[in-house]
Amino acid sequence: MRSDIEADAIISVSGDRFGDHLELLSQMSRDFAETGDIEQALLNGLKRIAEYMDAEGGALFLLNEAETTIECRACVGPVDITGLTLPTGQGIVGRCVDTGAGEIVRDVSKDPSFKGDVDAQTGFRTRSILCAPLSVKDHHLGAIEVLNKRGGDGLFTPLDLNMLIALGASAGLAVVNARMAAELVEKERVERELELAAQIQRSLLPSPPGNDFPVSAVNVPARMVSGDFYDYFTLEDGRIYFCLGDVSGKGIGAALTMAKATSLFHCLGKAIHAPGHLLDLINTELAETATQGRFVTMAAGLYSPETGEIVLANAGHEPPLLMDRNGGFTTVPAEAPPLGIAPGIAGPEGFPETRHKLDGGAVYIFTDGLTEGYLADGSEMGVEGLKDRLRQTQDAAPDVRIDAVIGLIHRGGAPLRDDLTILVLDDKDAIGERPDAPHKRPNLASDEDGDWLVDIRLPTQPVMLKIIRRVTEQSAKLCGCDERTAKDIVIAVDEACQNVIRHAYGGKIGELVLSVSKNDSNMVVRLRDFAPPVDVSKIKPRDLDDLRPGGLGTHFIREIMDQVDFLVPTDGEPGNILRMEKRIG
Amino acid sequence: MNIETNEINGATVITLGGEVDLEHSPQARKALLDAVANNKKVIVDLSGVSYIDSSGIASLVEAFQTARKNGGAFILATVSDSALRVLQLARLDKVFTIAATVEEATA
Repeated sequence: MRSDIEADAIISVSGDRFGDHLELLSQMSRDFAETGDIEQALLNGLKRIAEYMDAEGGALFLLNEAETTIECRACVGPVDITGLTLPTGQGIVGRCVDTGAGEIVRDVSKDPSFKGDVDAQTGFRTRSILCAPLSVKDHHLGAIEVLNKRGGDGLFTPLDLNMLIALGASAGLAVVNARMAAELVEKERVERELELAAQIQRSLLPSPPGNDFPVSAVNVPARMVSGDFYDYFTLEDGRIYFCLGDVSGKGIGAALTMAKATSLFHCLGKAIHAPGHLLDLINTELAETATQGRFVTMAAGLYSPETGEIVLANAGHEPPLLMDRNGGFTTVPAEAPPLGIAPGIAGPEGFPETRHKLDGGAVYIFTDGLTEGYLADGSEMGVEGLKDRLRQTQDAAPDVRIDAVIGLIHRGGAPLRDDLTILVLDDKDAIGERPDAPHKRPNLASDEDGDWLVDIRLPTQPVMLKIIRRVTEQSAKLCGCDERTAKDIVIAVDEACQNVIRHAYGGKIGELVLSVSKNDSNMVVRLRDFAPPVDVSKIKPRDLDDLRPGGLGTHFIREIMDQVDFLVPTDGEPGNILRMEKRIG
Repeated sequence: MNIETNEINGATVITLGGEVDLEHSPQARKALLDAVANNKKVIVDLSGVSYIDSSGIASLVEAFQTARKNGGAFILATVSDSALRVLQLARLDKVFTIAATVEEATA
């Protein structure tokens, strides 16, 4: 009989109180949201639990991070034991945390395992104890204990234990939620600060200049903040200072050093007009405050648009590439160690400088994130891969060239391995305006391009190629070319004419003018069409694997001729001029 | 340009002569691809080629690749100086199988 009554009571009690559990959970979560304070929320929760249980007192213990002790974090009742720490496994509450099982000591006077230590200290008289774990799944967080049931005989029942176990589970969930919320808030705060740092970094890089400025550069950070940097600015006398660098390490530390290095360059460069000396000063400043073995590789240079000369200094940086007009490369290796290691590290002479005449060529400075970047086929780009790409896009605008290089690095949806940074200084445009350069360049687009030999005007039909080849071969011999050179020139001119025939007039027949002239010791061949302008950046000598006619032809032209230029006519008529030059003899 | 197709010792021998340029290379391309489709051994005699351009080279490459895919042989024989020069420019002189004479290739 008695067990039936008890069974019914359990069901009805559970039924009634189920709603209360949810209420408790939502109350505790609300408490936390309101105060943001987990301690306060625990205390409020404990108070509610003690009320439901109709207990004289209660305490809530949480396990410490090392899982070696439990600490009372909330306490209600006549005696306050908040802060009390007990080792795990000991006492009723300690055992409860360890085993994850609720315990009831209904009448302590009849239970020899009950230790009266805490009572002795606090003066409280414990008669009945209930203890339930705070846990989520198998994760033990702590325990709740309630003491001395009010009313009746002052003793708890097994029903009460079930209740407390259920309430403990709710409280455990609330604690876990509160902790996760706190972590999320912290994570977001850190991200916001990183975003701010990234913004500041971007503002430290120079803003993109106008179209005519000879320097272009790009930085693609691998993460939010970057250890790579570049800078350029114009001095009062018109010379242009430029630099590109790479701070060792990653993350916020590298970014902060980057800010210092680039500011030093920008500030000191206005007064110190020798790159080697400038790097020396930056080195001293960085070495003074260097921490964690951080250092900076950097290449800096000063460019004079009037003469096309640059003075370069390289402190341990990936060697810059100098590209001449014909697609040939020179590398400028570092003769000095990176900056920030020790003052005076480059010796008494300071950081060594090298001088170069660009003569219409270009300088490329980049970080190894680029040359060590992976291509679509999984191989590293390497310096040779970079050179090939630069050769292919030689005639395009600088930012098109940069995009072509950066675009090769295969992301595959994954983050970059390393920052990608590249800077190009281009002497091409300036070269036309040099009055007293040693080789005076003719205005290439004008008709006066040496001694005139031949002009022929033809329709753009394949059958005309025979005539073009004959004329070209004979003209070449007239210019003094040997048999082999003459035949090569024929190949190049034939391929160039094929491009016009195929593409200039969109498949229709138009007009082509072939002019041959002799200019000093060069033979100059010009092909003029009257079609809409060609976008030079879209003509690329393809990889030799792609052998569609046309792509291979452009490759032949560049291999054979010494100089190839796309020009805009200056006679007022539409169209394009392809100018090819070959040294004779 | 002239094209001659013969059969020698079971192999198809295509003799190309004259100037294989943009005007004529489509015919050469067709002849080469037909030969490769019909015979597992194709030899191209280039002794008479006085000029060949990128489109002519591309036809040779296309035929070569098709032959390879079908497990056939594709051999260039008696490559004229002009043709060799263009093959070198295209860095293909080490890619093709080149025989000194047609006899050597048909053996």
